[in-house]
Amino acid sequence: MVTPNINEKDKLRIREIVENFARKHSLWVLAYGTGCGAIEIPPTMTSRYDAERFGIRGSATPRQADVLLITGYLSTKTLKRVIRTYEQMQAPKYVIGFGSCTINGGMYWDSYNTINALDRYLPVDVYINGCMPRPEAVIQGFIKLQNIIAEGKGNGAEKYQENLEWYRENQKKIIHNWQMPDYNW
Amino acid sequence: MREKETTLYLGPQHPGITGNMMVKLKVAGDTVVKAETHIGYLHRAFEKLMEQRTWTQSFPIVCRICVPEPDPNEENLARAIEEIEGREVPERAKYIRVLVLELARLSSYQLWMAGQSGSMGLYTMPQWTVGDRDYILDLFEELTGGRIYHMYIWAGGVRRDLPDGFKGRVLKVMDYLESRLKDYDKLLFQNALFRKRAEGVGIIPKEKAIEWGVVGSPLRGCGIKHDVRIDEPYEVYDKLEFEVPTHEGNDIWSRAMVRRQEIEQSISIVRQVLDKMPGGDYYNKVPNPLTWRIPPGDAYVKTESVRGEFGYYVVSDGSDKPRRVHVRGPAYAHGITVLEEVLKGANIADVSFIMNSLGTCPPEMER
Amino acid sequence: MLEKENKFSEQIQKTFHSAKIEIKRSKRISVQLRSDLIPPFLSYAKELLDFKHLSHMSCVDWLEDNELELVFILMNYDTSIQIIAKTRIERENAQFVSLKKFWPQLETYEREFHEMYGINFEGNDRLGEFILEDWNNKPPMLRDFDTRKYANETYYQRPGREDAQNVRETVSKHSGEEVPEFAKKYSIRNIDDE
Repeated sequence: MVTPNINEKDKLRIREIVENFARKHSLWVLAYGTGCGAIEIPPTMTSRYDAERFGIRGSATPRQADVLLITGYLSTKTLKRVIRTYEQMQAPKYVIGFGSCTINGGMYWDSYNTINALDRYLPVDVYINGCMPRPEAVIQGFIKLQNIIAEGKGNGAEKYQENLEWYRENQKKIIHNWQMPDYNW
Repeated sequence: MREKETTLYLGPQHPGITGNMMVKLKVAGDTVVKAETHIGYLHRAFEKLMEQRTWTQSFPIVCRICVPEPDPNEENLARAIEEIEGREVPERAKYIRVLVLELARLSSYQLWMAGQSGSMGLYTMPQWTVGDRDYILDLFEELTGGRIYHMYIWAGGVRRDLPDGFKGRVLKVMDYLESRLKDYDKLLFQNALFRKRAEGVGIIPKEKAIEWGVVGSPLRGCGIKHDVRIDEPYEVYDKLEFEVPTHEGNDIWSRAMVRRQEIEQSISIVRQVLDKMPGGDYYNKVPNPLTWRIPPGDAYVKTESVRGEFGYYVVSDGSDKPRRVHVRGPAYAHGITVLEEVLKGANIADVSFIMNSLGTCPPEMER
Repeated sequence: MLEKENKFSEQIQKTFHSAKIEIKRSKRISVQLRSDLIPPFLSYAKELLDFKHLSHMSCVDWLEDNELELVFILMNYDTSIQIIAKTRIERENAQFVSLKKFWPQLETYEREFHEMYGINFEGNDRLGEFILEDWNNKPPMLRDFDTRKYANETYYQRPGREDAQNVRETVSKHSGEEVPEFAKKYSIRNIDDE
């Protein structure tokens, strides 16, 4: 009898494929409605457009969540809380930017209280544009995130940790009173 | 033995809050001793932005002030401009405006039912009501092009006419909603657990209600009968027949009873409007909306939304941009002054229940 | 027609001689007063004339006259008539008395105006940070605060917006009409901003 000879590199690759398959079919979204896009999340999660058949459901605390869904614009007061929430989530974690306001500011581009480009402050994986995006567009965004995870490219947490000084410099330029714990995990 | 007092932050990230706001509670054991509302997480500076946009460019901005029910905003701004300028609106446009406003009320009542029962632990109700609300959003998409934000009501009328066969589709959705009301009754309104939890909780004393600034369904739940649609009828409400229900007992149960009866009245108003709709023009055309100027003056207009009296104070100085547009949402008094009084002595488990019943909606508190 | 409004208007004119009263349309009475007559007028309207419901309080910035205008809107529930009471105060170091004992919701309005316009209300001990956090600039709703310049300097703008044009200039180029002088004087946005 001949046993197949699998070397270490292939074993790691097979393990990664199985892990990614499990991760992409169970994405838990944090229950945080940060902006006015939160009005299209209940239709996506309930009986008509049923996102639960893809494995997407809500989670109450950041410690048990995988996906942070930034629904719409972010004021500076909310940005501070979102950064603290993002750093409390455990790797692997993903960020989805929802709506046109995360891409280039939308219709509030000249307001003194909203930020304009989200990926200077947090690492973003997928953008969904529209104002508001339809529930079918939201589900298509989640499927794109599933493809990114399956290819092994869903590494926003490592990107954040490697470029921490750059992200901190951008964040501290906006948030003047920085009273947050050090990020050490 | 006196219990130790701790501070809890029912913070911006919480599954039981109606939006993005924070309530700071001082708790002794299980009872709330003091409550403080913190807002400012959704501030976009609408009124400053509107001072730099022309009158026509202000209409797409104004919808986004109240997220669950955007149509009273457009209606208020359109009526304020018409009052300052003296512009006439054709009869058919008034009937179409009433139709859009009542359909928005129905979809907002379903969101209220979802929030009220979800904060109690009954999760079947949100699945039913949010799913049924989608049929109304389909009607809106056919009429105006957008599901949530319509940008349909304009100063001088509405933007386009009703499509062919629209009346039949609206009546079909109204029949469906009436048949679903029996199921909602069996699950929520005749539920003994809901009644036991809601009676005697969240009491607003009747003699202080008007002084605290309570408007809308909470005021009618205290037995005081006031509604903008009968106090100062706007559009064609003086030609329609409907009742304004009240209920004695100043707690969450009486507010729920008032809202349940208002759903039936809204469905009957939609049927009357479709019956009586005249023909004719739907828009009184504005000459060149890009260089349109309004003479100097000011006006205060108000509309009845699901949560209460929604007011706009508009000042114009003669140029093509507004001087000042100040929005008064009904949740401004409910969410800060009234909530801090009502939460004294409440149970922690009832905080979210009370917030849903008063109708605290943060986007219109801080614009 | 308008008899109840006329009756209220005569009663107010007899008690406050220096008030300027105008009936704008049915159910709206506009009263213009000196700033030291506002507390007695509000108390008179609330207790004696039964205008028990405070609908709204607002503030308008008149930069050209160097004044701020405070507006109080009251309502009588029996007749559904509304009074719009206006007064003007000085713009620099603006002061006013706090009226939160009349209606508790005025405390919230006063906190907001202190933050947005810089008015100090004596007697209100809850003034401070309300909507904005760590704001160290001038009060933002004043007309000489340029929000576009602040947004361009503080927040990173993604490139691609350079084709957003000034609407008035573009329309006046196409139609051949000149932008009139009063429009340039009242609006603060400068044409050569881009």
